[in-house]
Amino acid sequence: MAERTDPPDPSGFDIELLLKQARTYLAFGQQLQPLSERFHETLGQDGDWGEALRQHFDQLKAALARATDDPNGHPDLTRLWTVTLDTWRQAAASLGVSTALAPPAGANAEAWRAYQQLQGQYLDGLRQAARDALDLMEQRLSERAMAGAMVESLRELYNLWVECNEETYGRMLRSLDYAMLNGRLLNALVSCHVRGDAPT
Amino acid sequence: MIGPTPAQITEELRHFQARLTEGARTLRGLGPIETGVLPRDPVYQEDKLVLYRYRPRVAEPHPVPLLIVYALVNRPYMMDLQEDRSLIRGLLDAGLDVYLIDWGYPDAGDRHLSLADYILRYIGHCVHHLREHHQRDSINLAGVCQGGALSLCFTALHPEKIRNLVTMVTPVDFHTPDNVLTHLIRYVDVDLLVDTLGNLPGQLLNFTFLSLSPFRLAGQKYVDLVDILDDAQTVKNFLRMEKWIFDSPDQAGEAFRQFAKDFFQQNKLVKGDVVIDGQRVDLHNVTMPVLNVYANQDHLVPPAASRALAGCCGSRDYSELSFEGGHIGIYVSGRAQRKIPPAIAAWLLAR
Repeated sequence: MAERTDPPDPSGFDIELLLKQARTYLAFGQQLQPLSERFHETLGQDGDWGEALRQHFDQLKAALARATDDPNGHPDLTRLWTVTLDTWRQAAASLGVSTALAPPAGANAEAWRAYQQLQGQYLDGLRQAARDALDLMEQRLSERAMAGAMVESLRELYNLWVECNEETYGRMLRSLDYAMLNGRLLNALVSCHVRGDAPT
Repeated sequence: MIGPTPAQITEELRHFQARLTEGARTLRGLGPIETGVLPRDPVYQEDKLVLYRYRPRVAEPHPVPLLIVYALVNRPYMMDLQEDRSLIRGLLDAGLDVYLIDWGYPDAGDRHLSLADYILRYIGHCVHHLREHHQRDSINLAGVCQGGALSLCFTALHPEKIRNLVTMVTPVDFHTPDNVLTHLIRYVDVDLLVDTLGNLPGQLLNFTFLSLSPFRLAGQKYVDLVDILDDAQTVKNFLRMEKWIFDSPDQAGEAFRQFAKDFFQQNKLVKGDVVIDGQRVDLHNVTMPVLNVYANQDHLVPPAASRALAGCCGSRDYSELSFEGGHIGIYVSGRAQRKIPPAIAAWLLAR
């Protein structure tokens, strides 16, 4: 017998997941277009492509800083770096703890402040991992260039970007500091949760 | 080194957008996504648990039934996801008589269910039902992932009822250095969590799994989906997996409390210190033949966590089966379909 839908119904695919990441990919493409432009210009003028690469990645790091400081400025671009935080916020929302600046009604204000502070630390960690990933990507592109290897497409650049982020994020994830922060963040979130609101 | 020119990048983006627009229409027209394809019949029910018997695919199935105990996390239809991705189908084709426990979805009324309830009462009653129905002193038991740990506990407490034990991607030593789930739960105040929330929301577990590889699992995966949107069948395969990933039942509070603290945080299973309803779980009591199946690239249950069973179970007929793949691939990849069910069946049929 085919199991069509069990309660609660999880079968409906949230197309917004796809659309959000597609928009993010398009934003990534727009960010990378100037790099391609500068690279091909530099190549044509027999210039220093290494310097062009450095400059472009400095700009990307500045864009990252702007995007994470003001997530509403360019949400599609911001999502490139905040995918983990977004997932965390969805989990927090499932406990009735939203991203709003004010504590949920009935929540302990001190617990709420502690949670906000830890969430800030969490975002700092993610931001650092994202910066490290850009450094790593610059290094990988440089190494490829030295080896005479060519990146053939925007998608290949995106895949390299994902690979670099997974690597630097994974390093952070496996650190003792992260384990402690993860535990404290979850404990703080639960402390904000208003008893009697359990989603179960 | 940067091959594509700005014009080529523009064209690539335009092409991506066109595929997305066209593909979104495909997605909307797909209809419900079905999982769990093989015919089966409920043969025993207790609370939210349903024990299913899969209809045999040979005229005379093996007389010793095989009971599959899946994890409490996620849903057991992963074992029978679709026509060509079904470990259960492979086991049936090899002549086995296969039963599966579906734990259902715990709700607030289940928050006090303990591991003793799951192991001694639920698994115990299913084993009892099969022993009675098949008139056998002992049956074959296969535990999957966390279900393997629960099966080990049951088997250690009632070895006389289990003829052969198969463990699949089952953690035994929770403190191997590469166990990232243990790493993440180490500083979590489990008592606070359960005392406050009652049951553990499935969405929190989802976050934990996604957070292990967020750029791939919450980002790149959907960008890659655009590439296959013109192939309805492939998209359906993707959506079946997607359904399974997000189909995360809440975890009964007390059972989660004990599993998180005793297994993950304190690693009591491998030390022989787990106590279920006042009885110590000593894996040396697992003296029947054991087949331990693990995946070499398993990022959730590292091979070393599974292979620790060799050093602490009492079986003199202990075998291992390794699979080149990950924690999910071992259920659903084409290679797994060809390798795992025939190997498990051959091992069981020889005993």
